[in-house]
Amino acid sequence: MTVTSEQHIEGKRDVTFRVFRLNPQVDSKPYFDDYTIPVERGITVLRALNYIKENIDASVSYRVFCQAGICGSCGMRINGISKLACTTQVWDELPKCREAGIIKIEPLRNLPLLKDLIVDMDPLVGKMKHYRNWVESSMPEPEMGKKEFLVSEEEFSRYDKATDCILCASCVSECSILRANKEYVSPAVLLKSYRMNVDTRDSLHDVRLAELVQDHGVWDCTHCYRCQETCVKNIPIMEAIHGIREDAIECRGLKDSAGAKHAEAFMSDIEKKGKLVEATLPFRTNGVAWTVKNLLPMAVKMIMKRRTPPPPPLVKSSKGMKQFREEFREMTEHVKDDHKTHNK
Amino acid sequence: MKRYAYYLSCINESMTKEVDRSIALWQKDLGIELVHLHESTCCGGSNLDYVSPKHFALVNARNIAHAEKMGLDLVVSCNTCLMTIRSAKKKLDASPELRAEVNEILKKEGLEYRGTSEVRHLLWVLIDDVGLEAIKSKVKVPLSKYRIAPFYGCHILRPSTVLGKDNPLDPSSLDQLIEALGGKTIPYRHKNRCCGFHTLLVAEEESLSVAAEALGEAIEEKADFIVTPCPLCHTVLDGYQSKALKQAHIHSSIPVFHLSEMVGLALGYSPKELGIKRHIVS
Ligand code: SF4
Ligand code: SF4
Ligand code: FES
Repeated sequence: MTVTSEQHIEGKRDVTFRVFRLNPQVDSKPYFDDYTIPVERGITVLRALNYIKENIDASVSYRVFCQAGICGSCGMRINGISKLACTTQVWDELPKCREAGIIKIEPLRNLPLLKDLIVDMDPLVGKMKHYRNWVESSMPEPEMGKKEFLVSEEEFSRYDKATDCILCASCVSECSILRANKEYVSPAVLLKSYRMNVDTRDSLHDVRLAELVQDHGVWDCTHCYRCQETCVKNIPIMEAIHGIREDAIECRGLKDSAGAKHAEAFMSDIEKKGKLVEATLPFRTNGVAWTVKNLLPMAVKMIMKRRTPPPPPLVKSSKGMKQFREEFREMTEHVKDDHKTHNK
Repeated sequence: MKRYAYYLSCINESMTKEVDRSIALWQKDLGIELVHLHESTCCGGSNLDYVSPKHFALVNARNIAHAEKMGLDLVVSCNTCLMTIRSAKKKLDASPELRAEVNEILKKEGLEYRGTSEVRHLLWVLIDDVGLEAIKSKVKVPLSKYRIAPFYGCHILRPSTVLGKDNPLDPSSLDQLIEALGGKTIPYRHKNRCCGFHTLLVAEEESLSVAAEALGEAIEEKADFIVTPCPLCHTVLDGYQSKALKQAHIHSSIPVFHLSEMVGLALGYSPKELGIKRHIVS
């Protein structure tokens, strides 16, 4: 931290904004421009950018609309973290600067860059369309316009939090898997799909779910929780992702996809042994052919280092397994009862 | 001697045996005793929670209840076990109904989940209970020769609502431990990123690309080795390293140590005793 307490008391100081610049029509590669401006305490990063645009350099480009954390336009990376410029206080960023007094402003990641701080949202919109993330009414046509479609409070509570999403794409920018593969569905899209799939008015549930379990869909999420940690509206995105998975297993069964099979292995191993039988996990997830092709060369190295997991018969069960298994099965009965009451 | 109930992670029981082996070597040196909890079962590895939320609650209520019966905190040395068991605890503590339901079942085993034992990572115990000063005073072979890349892994940081020890945007606990052991940390942007473990069998290419980024930065920054508090991260970063780097066209390699081995080295144990020879990348 470099701000002296004196300056803090004064509540005014010079701050440098190091802004990412690239105009693909003119520039062959990106560069940074430094703008040093006087900033008062209480000023947001967005207002600082507005000041720069109005007074120093009108060519700096960024998106802005509501200036109040509602529209989701102003997502950008501030000191390396994706967030909204209009709700971020310059003063809060000062202690986080890598170089004292210099706030770094960059565009969101994982979306194509258009200019400076503006990214192309089309791929995200395209995915929203692909997964049909809207309510397709299940009301028969003749009744439309004549009847109300009521949603109970309890029903709404299942997706209440998901409706807070303002599509700012901050989570998208921080996603580990999207970084590795731009085809991946994306956290905000999964959140929206979840929200639609639990909506009682919607009729596309099965179609949407069938698409979500395909390649680049819900099973490709690697549980890194970066999206959730980033969300500017504190939405528990992983609960939505797990919600889709739970639903997929319930509706499509445990043998539906590699992801479901992988998850199922945990359940059945715990019941049988109390432990995961790692040696056969690749076979059970992807079958023998995949395992031989993908893992054999590595397995040889592992065997030489005696690093392979023990074969199933040698996996020692946990102590007190007999009792545990009874408890596990008792819970299975509870779950069956829950489903019965749930389906009534 | 401070005692803890030590949760046995599936992976440390099978593929990464060197973790528990090295802890066993040095625990007394640091004045702690980890009592193995042989009754514990697999936590569900961040999968059981959506396959069956109720079984997930039962299994982990039982794991924690065993520690409570001993009157000890539950200590784990795997990030995903940490996050998984802590999130089960959070759900149980928030719901009297869920607690009652699992306790009705656990009663038959003479167990009860009450929520009295904390669930903690070994790294946290070293820092908060043993203390950095005490650790420093026990160092026999300072790691001063080494530039070390601290790779935290996801589930010791995120979700912060469940973990909450480190700032997930800028964690420091592992850095502090490295420095207490005399080592130098490199500024490592990937320190709080993901290793890709949880999709290795489902989306391998993506997982390996995630891993290669973390490995690549450490190599570029000329770190001598990466250290991680998670055996799952270790499995990717070490076991899958050559495959990941090949995919990313990086022609180099870097050793990866477990937290427990790094402590062991500084306390004077040999690589052989610590099981470092078991690693794929040397
Ligand atoms: S948890 Fe899944 S969706 Fe969220 S950032 Fe990680 S990989 Fe992406
Ligand atoms: S989920 Fe959160 S971070 Fe992601 S787009 Fe919606 S509001 Fe933004
Ligand atoms: S300008 Fe609307 S959210 Fe920032």
